[in-house]
Amino acid sequence: MQIKLVIGEKVDLIEINNNNTVKDLLKNMDIAPETVVVKKNNCIVIDEELVEDGDLIEVIQVIYGG
Amino acid sequence: MNSCDKCGNPNIIIKKKQSGQKLCKDCFIKSTQNKVIKDIRKYKLIKKGDKILLGLSGGKDSVMLLDILNSLRKRNIIDIIAVTIDEGIHGYREEGVEIAVRNAKKLGVEHRVVKFKDYFGITLDEIIAKNTLKDGRRNACTYCGVFRRWIFNKVAREEGATKIATGHNLDDETQSIVMSYLEGNIHNLTRIGPKSEIKNKKFTIKIKPLREIPEKEIGLYVIAKELEVHFAGCPYAIESFRGEIKDFIKQLSNEHPTIMYSTLRGFDKIKTILKKEFSNKSIVMECEKCGEPSAAQLCKVCSFLESWKK
Ligand SMILES: [Zn+2]
Ligand SMILES: [Zn+2]
Repeated sequence: MQIKLVIGEKVDLIEINNNNTVKDLLKNMDIAPETVVVKKNNCIVIDEELVEDGDLIEVIQVIYGG
Repeated sequence: MNSCDKCGNPNIIIKKKQSGQKLCKDCFIKSTQNKVIKDIRKYKLIKKGDKILLGLSGGKDSVMLLDILNSLRKRNIIDIIAVTIDEGIHGYREEGVEIAVRNAKKLGVEHRVVKFKDYFGITLDEIIAKNTLKDGRRNACTYCGVFRRWIFNKVAREEGATKIATGHNLDDETQSIVMSYLEGNIHNLTRIGPKSEIKNKKFTIKIKPLREIPEKEIGLYVIAKELEVHFAGCPYAIESFRGEIKDFIKQLSNEHPTIMYSTLRGFDKIKTILKKEFSNKSIVMECEKCGEPSAAQLCKVCSFLESWKK
């Protein structure tokens, strides 16, 4: 299935497996969940949220490391 | 089934790892505001009639602090002057300044932008470019910290402010505690806390109302409230020991979500004793060049500036 992924200025259409959660998605991209806020279809969601076909997922980095 | 612990709304935006509490957007915003106001009362950070100088960088912490303290201003409990320091960090600070200006304007809060260049004749970029680490210069955060403290203190007196409020959060405070321990800097430890003490009438009291709010929740708050915020990392942060400590605590927190709270609680318990034993009773004098309070004949700012003249 396909989703639209927005990270900062970057917008991508990506293929992912079924039954992925936001947490799985972040893990695959090597992003620490504790440093970002994620919106699904413009609403803030928690890590456990299931990602479904056609979703718009926006990853907003809120914590910048040292 | 996930739903808000307070109102039952199925759209939750946070499940707190430390407590298991689940909250929807509105309840999260409300409970965060209540927590900050409660801490302000508990630690007696603000009293009616205070004029607060708020350090407004445009980053999430200071924008959230402005948002919450503004509710006290609207109720005529306090007055606020927002101050943005332009250190002169090219490609980073400009956007933060613009965002700070817009946030203050939106709320109708008095605002000043003050520049390193105007007060010291030099920008942070110039300081770093002119002195290399090999020549024994300190890391950028050291200079930045020293110069910022000087400016805040000076501007607070210029504006007749009674308190200086900064957006330091739980992560910052925990980092400071762990850093000071690891460096063996017990004197620095005695200065960590929600409110500074007045050692000299030229010093304005500093308060940290967000000290018990985790950084992640501050990020969540500003996005939930759709506040305009400058999300970016300072280009000089990579130079700092603090950055290493930050990564280290983050990593620990993954498996031990309460570790920052316990570090802070434990520290606050031993702080009174620490202060009794280690607070140095050095006399505070006035810098002979600039007149600001200082532990030596020249304050740190003036002695740095002098050393670069040679
Ligand atoms: Zn709720
Ligand atoms: Zn001086």
